[in-house]
Amino acid sequence: MSERARRLLDAIRAIDLPRKVKIMNVCGGHERTISHAGLRGVLPPGIEMIPGPGCPVCICPEEDVYEAIQLALHEPVTLVAFGDMLRVPVNVPRSQPRSLEQARAAGGDIRPIATPMEAVRIAREQPDRQVVFFAAGFETTIAPVAAMLAEGVPDNLLVLLSGRLTWPAVALLLESGTPGFDALIAPGHVATVMGPEEWEFVADKHGIPVAVAGFESESMLAAMHSVLRQFRDGTPKLENCYPSVVRPGGNPIARDILKRVLNVVDANWRGIGTITGSGFALSPEYHAHDARLQLPSYQDAARKRVGQMPPGCDCASVVLGKIYPNECRLFGNPCVPRRPIGPCMVSDEGACRIWWSSGLRENKAEDRPPRAEAG
Amino acid sequence: MEDRYISLAHGNGGRFMRELIKEVFAAHLANPCLDTRLDAVTLPWDNRQLVMSTDGFTVQPLEFPGGDIGSLAVHGTCNDLAVAGAIPVFLTLNAFIEEGFDLEVLDRLIASLARTAREMEVDVVAGDTKVLPRGQGGGLYLATTGVGRLDPRARLSLDGLQEGDRLLVSGPVGDHGIAVMLAREQFGLSGSLRSDAASVLPFTRILLDLPGLRFMRDPTRGGLVTVCHELCHASGLAVHLNEAAIPVREQVISVCQMLGYDPYYLACEGRVVAVLDESDADQALERWRDLPGGEEAALIGTLKSGKPRVHLETRIGGSRLLEELEDDPLPRIC
Repeated sequence: MSERARRLLDAIRAIDLPRKVKIMNVCGGHERTISHAGLRGVLPPGIEMIPGPGCPVCICPEEDVYEAIQLALHEPVTLVAFGDMLRVPVNVPRSQPRSLEQARAAGGDIRPIATPMEAVRIAREQPDRQVVFFAAGFETTIAPVAAMLAEGVPDNLLVLLSGRLTWPAVALLLESGTPGFDALIAPGHVATVMGPEEWEFVADKHGIPVAVAGFESESMLAAMHSVLRQFRDGTPKLENCYPSVVRPGGNPIARDILKRVLNVVDANWRGIGTITGSGFALSPEYHAHDARLQLPSYQDAARKRVGQMPPGCDCASVVLGKIYPNECRLFGNPCVPRRPIGPCMVSDEGACRIWWSSGLRENKAEDRPPRAEAG
Repeated sequence: MEDRYISLAHGNGGRFMRELIKEVFAAHLANPCLDTRLDAVTLPWDNRQLVMSTDGFTVQPLEFPGGDIGSLAVHGTCNDLAVAGAIPVFLTLNAFIEEGFDLEVLDRLIASLARTAREMEVDVVAGDTKVLPRGQGGGLYLATTGVGRLDPRARLSLDGLQEGDRLLVSGPVGDHGIAVMLAREQFGLSGSLRSDAASVLPFTRILLDLPGLRFMRDPTRGGLVTVCHELCHASGLAVHLNEAAIPVREQVISVCQMLGYDPYYLACEGRVVAVLDESDADQALERWRDLPGGEEAALIGTLKSGKPRVHLETRIGGSRLLEELEDDPLPRIC
């Protein structure tokens, strides 16, 4: 353990807390650090760490994945998507392909990519064929997609955008009246792009301690120390515990590109429903590259509904921090990374997948307290 | 095995591959010599001094910083013999070449294979060549079979593992896995990291006279954790690893953080994990550290009583389980 981590941990243990404190982390990266470092095991018993809504794969609405599958199967297009979208299951009859991976096995031309540059390259390599880039992600992922469009892309590249903003989901929880947490660790990488100020509302409007953290144990511990002190002293405010990377105002160039290329719209979150001002859509200037406008035939209004989780799947409750991953009845049986039932078991950012891969595999659905009902 | 079809995960060194080997290959091929847990077997001839091993190579790309499929085809099989306590002597070679493959590249790769064989003082004594129709191979696949002579001092077995035994690793883990991944330029990342692909013979030979040496294994596919699970399965004991002691390069850690990988599951092609009685562990560590390339060798863990699981004691004093590898997000690396 680094000297700094040791000092922070000692300082956290020394804080005299008036009652049990629940700290929510927004980001899958945070949850990964917490689980992989075994952080929960070294904290005093009065501190609970809850994974929150920070997995873009988990909240990507079923209709978007369904549309991507249908486009790949029925249109003469090449569909490219970030690798972890390929296994996300949709709840359709087993006779149909239930994920992009299965659609690929059924003959769809579907290719995993890791960067928007690859989408451009693939489109350039086959100028006579349309390439649909299924771009799902939060601000950090969508900013490079916007930059790609701003720089100019080949005419045959269309974007099926499923971009989301993180803070509105936290705002939704806070405004529900039963947020289920007493303090928040805000996402460092999102703050790098959008600026830490986005998270001021957590303290200013809701009186909840909040700190921005990066993905190293030290940064996480510093943020935990910050919010616990705020909690004890009753002085909620936003603290930046990732100052080496997160600057006031974020990245002005990235923000400017996002503003020019995309509009902020209301958007559906899988299993949660529509959240006001939480999604991105291409601005009119880029409509020539909007897959939804250019290939509209597979937008099925009937699929745009709330609660589209497979039977028994509690991903929505996991995403909202209402239950721990292993409190889902399907966790580990039958839902495992090889055969995921819900989206949280798919991505490296998904809380279920992170818990499973960090060795937390015992199902505790039976011991689940009554608080577990999703809000 | 619940699967109906072969997936990439059946080749990753983890649980699915173990099940596949047990339920298909071992089920049909069982015989007194075959031990599917081992990298190499001792044959019942010549006073049991004859050791044999075989390995296939499908790495992509064919050339990467620190090695290529040619050098790997020699090191891979020779290392399997070395960790069994043998000195490699002869190799056979199978080449599966895809139609349209560049002859100049083939020449370069086979020259590299020959150079590596000379360095290791092994002769390639038989071979076979097949050409596959275009589209039916990754350019070039190689398979080598090796024969070695058992060092008379070697007394290695998975059956002698005991509570209190210590685990050593001969150098940083994960370099090969990440170097190959960076060489694919798949993720828009690049770096100066080199594969650790090398002969482990100097490391294995130097421990053979220690009476407390129990077992050695090179952590290739599935990495360090997979070796630890093999130790658990064989001994019924728990492995406790100390995260702070496991050498991992900064660059490997950064790439893992970016892509969500765990370095303890990444392949090495030139490292050894050795299990020794506590009384010989420090001596072994000293010897390894004196060898070129062994400067970062470390004592990384202990066999303890308890359920046969792999525990990682984390840097901040926490603990987590390292489960058997299931998924395989990585490209082919060997």
